Amino acid sequence: MKKLLILFLPILLLTACVDSLDDYNVDTKRASAVPAVTLFSNSLKGLADVLTTPSVNTNNFRLYVQQWSTTTYLDEPRYNLTARTIPLSIWRTLYRDVLSDLNESKRLVNADATLLADVKNNELAQIEIMQIYAWSVLVNTFGNVPYTEAFSDNPLPKYDDAKTVYDDLLTRLDAALTKIAPASAGFAAGDLIYKGKMASWVKFGNSLKLKLAMVIADSDAAKAKTLVAAASANVFTANADKAAFPYIGTPPNYNPIAQNLNIIYSTRQDYVAASTFVNPMNELSDPRRASFFTPTAAGTYVGGNYGFLNTYSSFSHVGTKIIEPTLEGLLLDYSEVEFLLAEAVERGFITTGTAADHYNKAITASITYWGSTAAEAATYLAQPKVAYTTATGDWKQKIGTQKWFALYNRGYEAWVEWRRLDYPKLSPPTGGTAPAGLAIPVRLIYPNDEPTLNPVNLKAAAAAIGGDLATVKLWWDKF
Amino acid sequence: MTGRVTADDGSVLPGVNISLKGTNRGTTTNSQGDYTISAETGGTLVFSFIGFQSQEVTVGSQSTINIALKNDVSQLQEVVVTAQGIERKRNELVYAAQQVTAEQITQTRSTNLMSSLSGKVAGLDIRNTNSMGGSTSTVIRGYKSITGNNQALYVIDGVPVSNANNNTATQASGGAGADYGNAASDINPDNVASINVLKGAAATALYGSRAANGVILITTKQGKKNSFDVTVNSGVTWGQIDKSTFVKYQKEYGAGYGGAKDFYSGDLGSGVAPIASFDSDASFGPKFDPNLQVYQWDTFDRASPNFGKTRPWVAAQNGPDKFYETGVTSNQSVSIAGGGSNSTFKLGYTRNDEKGVLPNSKLGKNLFNFSASFDILPKLTVNANVSYSQIKGIGRYGTGYSGKNPNQQFRQWFQTNVDLVEQKDAYFRNQQNVTWNWANHTTATGNYPIYSDNPYWSRYQNFSNDTRDNFFGNTGATYKIASWVDFTGRFSYNGTSDLQEERVALGSSGTSNYTRFNRLFNETNLDLILNFRKSITKDVHFVGVLGSNMRRSRETSIRASTNGGLTVPNLYALSNSINPIEAPTEFERKIGVDGIYAQASFGFKELINLELSARQDKSTTLPKANNTYFYPSVGANFVFSELPALKANWLTRGKLSANYAEVGNDAPWGSINNVYAKPTGIGSIPYFSLPDIKNNSNLKSERTRNLEFGLETGFLNDRLGADITWYRSSTIDQILPVNVTSATGYTQMYINSGEVQNKGIEIAAYITPIKTQDFSWTVNVNFARNRNKVMSLYGDVQNVPIASLQGGVSINAGFLKDATTGKITGLPFGIIRGTNFSYNDKGEKIVGTNGMYKATASSSEVIGDPNPDWIGGLSNTVKYKSVSLMFLIDVRHGGDFWSLDQWYGEGTGMYPITAGLNELGNPKRDPVTNDSKSGGVLYPGVQADGSVNTVRAGNTDGGGSTAYGYPANPPRAQYIYDASYVKLREVALTFGVPQSVVSKLKAFKAIDLSIIGRNLWIIHKNSEFSDPEEGLGSAIGAGAGGYQTGSYPAVRSYGFNVKFRF
Repeated sequence: MKKLLILFLPILLLTACVDSLDDYNVDTKRASAVPAVTLFSNSLKGLADVLTTPSVNTNNFRLYVQQWSTTTYLDEPRYNLTARTIPLSIWRTLYRDVLSDLNESKRLVNADATLLADVKNNELAQIEIMQIYAWSVLVNTFGNVPYTEAFSDNPLPKYDDAKTVYDDLLTRLDAALTKIAPASAGFAAGDLIYKGKMASWVKFGNSLKLKLAMVIADSDAAKAKTLVAAASANVFTANADKAAFPYIGTPPNYNPIAQNLNIIYSTRQDYVAASTFVNPMNELSDPRRASFFTPTAAGTYVGGNYGFLNTYSSFSHVGTKIIEPTLEGLLLDYSEVEFLLAEAVERGFITTGTAADHYNKAITASITYWGSTAAEAATYLAQPKVAYTTATGDWKQKIGTQKWFALYNRGYEAWVEWRRLDYPKLSPPTGGTAPAGLAIPVRLIYPNDEPTLNPVNLKAAAAAIGGDLATVKLWWDKF
Repeated sequence: MTGRVTADDGSVLPGVNISLKGTNRGTTTNSQGDYTISAETGGTLVFSFIGFQSQEVTVGSQSTINIALKNDVSQLQEVVVTAQGIERKRNELVYAAQQVTAEQITQTRSTNLMSSLSGKVAGLDIRNTNSMGGSTSTVIRGYKSITGNNQALYVIDGVPVSNANNNTATQASGGAGADYGNAASDINPDNVASINVLKGAAATALYGSRAANGVILITTKQGKKNSFDVTVNSGVTWGQIDKSTFVKYQKEYGAGYGGAKDFYSGDLGSGVAPIASFDSDASFGPKFDPNLQVYQWDTFDRASPNFGKTRPWVAAQNGPDKFYETGVTSNQSVSIAGGGSNSTFKLGYTRNDEKGVLPNSKLGKNLFNFSASFDILPKLTVNANVSYSQIKGIGRYGTGYSGKNPNQQFRQWFQTNVDLVEQKDAYFRNQQNVTWNWANHTTATGNYPIYSDNPYWSRYQNFSNDTRDNFFGNTGATYKIASWVDFTGRFSYNGTSDLQEERVALGSSGTSNYTRFNRLFNETNLDLILNFRKSITKDVHFVGVLGSNMRRSRETSIRASTNGGLTVPNLYALSNSINPIEAPTEFERKIGVDGIYAQASFGFKELINLELSARQDKSTTLPKANNTYFYPSVGANFVFSELPALKANWLTRGKLSANYAEVGNDAPWGSINNVYAKPTGIGSIPYFSLPDIKNNSNLKSERTRNLEFGLETGFLNDRLGADITWYRSSTIDQILPVNVTSATGYTQMYINSGEVQNKGIEIAAYITPIKTQDFSWTVNVNFARNRNKVMSLYGDVQNVPIASLQGGVSINAGFLKDATTGKITGLPFGIIRGTNFSYNDKGEKIVGTNGMYKATASSSEVIGDPNPDWIGGLSNTVKYKSVSLMFLIDVRHGGDFWSLDQWYGEGTGMYPITAGLNELGNPKRDPVTNDSKSGGVLYPGVQADGSVNTVRAGNTDGGGSTAYGYPANPPRAQYIYDASYVKLREVALTFGVPQSVVSKLKAFKAIDLSIIGRNLWIIHKNSEFSDPEEGLGSAIGAGAGGYQTGSYPAVRSYGFNVKFRF
């Protein structure tokens, strides 16, 4: 019996061992504490990627504004939003990869007791400006989105009213701008846009304010006017002021256009220029064409038929400059700002300069950005069809058309401006094999997994905006 | 001394042990029951055989002893190996367990032990892939875990071997990759003595949490005392694809997307002529016309006789089925087994060489094993088992949606004018990537593949290679403390080392690449077990177990790839990367679990048995406060055939049993603490990011509850009988990384919630209608029906996508909740969701204005259920003298899958349905004209206003006027297929060379010859162009299947085998 007891003992003792294995559930290959700036840097790449990529799975806005067309696969130019998980891809990137990392970065900055007050404020302002940028993309793409309950432990966050969210963003932006101490440091090397130059962040924040305010010009002119007037003195004044992500030549930090279109990384031949876009540029002998597209064998710029099959070799392709792996990813540029100022003059929001002045500066900025000279820009502007006084249509048409050219390769921005300015006039593909009743999306439908992941809140949001359809206009899209 | 051993009904008994008492001499009977042994007058021969009473015969002056052994009361006395290797009599069991013999596993010489179990065990759902050496899903009694592992645990002589695979997550969700199989597929079938399938929680309770999905308990062959036996086995099988599971192509139209006029035009060397649209990976082009001369893909191949020449525009003579070669598998094994009076040993070696049906595919296996036992002292026995396997693969089949899977071309994106034999010649002339899919039709030089490579280039240049070394074994000692108690200590080790290398050569359509994956895994188990066996009174017997298990495992892995392409051709090394490589993905996962358990069984007069067991585990993967969990089980049986009143000849055995058991389970490694992800920084600026999965520091163990009733009967000396089991299990508090809206900042969160129920019935029946001295016929039937339901998830969430798949369908776990009554209707695990047909009030399908079926707006409609209604197997064994014929029919009834192959392949106009004539007798590909000459396709259904549909869907091209597949964007439900099948799975004709002949050959004890076949005939299936059994291996959607992309055809194999015993 004694022998038996001796054998029992180890059997019972053995089970106490697990508690001493403290390191077993620790991930020894991943960090559990990191600097706040590293999350900020990563979110910048996430934001630049989602706005820049031409991947059909994510960003088809270059197609919606008919700057490009496809050769073989017609789902996307015909606005199919469900064959691929396009809305999910944008939604997920912005929430999970951009906003969430910015949130975490903010948490870490706030928790850092060693930071000087000015530096802390600057870092928080940098984070805040980028968050507001990212939120505005979400709201202007989908309408109502989870905002107040996002990033909480609640797996079923409610959707907030888009206008209310937007107004809050504008308030937050003002608060962030007042926080900046331009002489002090913020995130420095990890600030991939301005390398910690806080004066540049002041300009960027104000330019963003101008842009966001102008979006609501039709729906809330009074508010827009106040904001535009306050911001307009401190906005970008030269191409060098632009906010751009500096892609490098090495994957995965190369420009995602190169990843999809450059022969180094892909042999696919999915896109050609769209005739809708190339024809009016040809008519104006636009000097930017050489950067935007490749000439055909005949030396001309020819666009494919939008929304139909196109033979790759017969048409102009996306330009060699655009498919460079190191092409920077623009978030906001000077040309855009001048267009906004031209519009602000027309709307009576500001009185500095004339609309024509700002219009000319905008076009010149765009042409010189793409490598042509100021003289070439002047020649271009001198054409009656371009000159502000003689160009066709009202100010919306003039600015809308030229801004559409200037926002080439900025599909998302071009799509927002097209919805807002209602120019150029674009039509969905009709006739031939195109199904009847196609309509260019004026918002994206909610991601395909929301109906199962957050059904009750989604239903309420869809009802509130007038249905979860790509044809439902957002609150600011009055015309 | 010679003789024949028979059963008392006259049938011969092979494998009976015969030993000469007091010596180490021994032998066994051959397949005719004959034996030869040298013995002196006065010696005593002992005849022993499982299921029969041992008999001793004193040798007299005779030279022949024929003997008939008596049945050992009944089969209920049969000894069964149960959890932790404890041997129990069958009538003591209070739960279902089904045994499979060595003969049943090896008779058709499958190199994969798991696939050879298919159809042989009720309730065991085996899903094979048709790829060489691919993983096999083994699920017992349905899917229990929503997102975790559902694979049964393999235990080999007490060493647990996981059936998890190490394929990439992309491969598992239908993307590019290769299926490298799993360690359980490396078990040597020739070394297996028996397999016992422990199905329910009561049977597996002693193994603890990791056995929650059931256990496949494998006992390997051991040497026998006082014997010496050499067995040599040699076999070869050949395999060819079953064309009924491959594509058939329309032969009317060739390359293009743009319909009738889709030619380019130009002068590529022989004057201006039409040029085929090389750049189209589709067959929606111009109609074939033998009189039309067209430049085709080989016009660019300088080495081709057609360089710069036009050729007639005709359908290919040799289609993609010609790409598949004849596979050859050879299997050679030798085993030496034996023992002295106090020791045994066994040494085995098996060599398998498999050449797959794809070009450049090879799999070699070396399997070694050695086991020995030695009685050091009368009361102390020590033993050791070691196995070592070495697997070397070249050119594993690429799976999923990938250029490395030739079926992506052959089933989805292909031109019917491309001749595969010409493609083969084009590649082999200079080993160049001469594709049919050139990017450009104008440049005669500098052209390159746009989407698809030459398939031979893919196989010979972009192949993978891998090695897997697996060492497992145990050493232990058993000490008999007293007549009623013994103590066993056992230490076991399992170590695996994997290397997988994948490559994309320079010159391929994708970016050139080299990726390597190294992994080391080891697990140790220390088991201490006390076994008690004592009669308390004359009628009450006690069997008890008290044990502990200490398990430690460690897995380290590293995966690294080149970045942005390779610098120098044919050099596959990380250093050959164009750009600096991204940081490799590293893992180190350590898990420790300690368990103690006890079991007590009481038997009364062999009539009633009562069993209680309990186990407590403590696991490192749970938070410290919740890391201990306890679970009990209780069971009882009633052996009614032992009732004096029922003791009759007609009732051989009869038993009723019932049990209830709970099993706890711990969390996956690394699901408690949050860490940051590390994307590759830009230049010298680092990035960090929050991970996609939010961990949970409050997890507690999950739990499965299991209730089971069983009835076992045998009649007329076991000539017929049936075992019937009913069970219900529910798994609650599941530890799930559930999908959440990314508005939370994460895509998944670990939670402790949800309930999945399984209930079902299993029947294993047998009958021997004829049994005479020379002839017998036995039929075995297995049947299992499982009903699986997800009853709750977490919070108000009613659906969790397990896998979102290409083509717009998803695999899900979910349930329905009535909005008003709140009533919950569970849905089966793995349901397929996507857009459905739109029906009107009368249940008629609505056809839209484009003539296609109208899809629902919602893409989350339930459109299919991958779970079968029932599965079964029917095996027949007919024996006449020394010839036996066995065949096994494997049946699966019901279940659905969604086919990406048809979705794309019909959209690109490859399949016969996309061509030919419509119901008016006009070519479908003619334009729709609304008169009697109209082309197009008329779908039966109604228009939105309820009138009969008269709108034809246009079918002129692949650019939107397409009546089939993806370009027309029809409801996904249109591409759901039934996965039922009836397969003639195994056939074996075995001939034992008569003893009279063998004995003349002196050297041999026995010679068996067999002719074998596997998967010879698919008797019935409903999916026209694919093997309904084909899925994506053991990982997709937690193994639920229900999706086909780039699926491989089934392989028929046939061959022969010779077995010699010395």
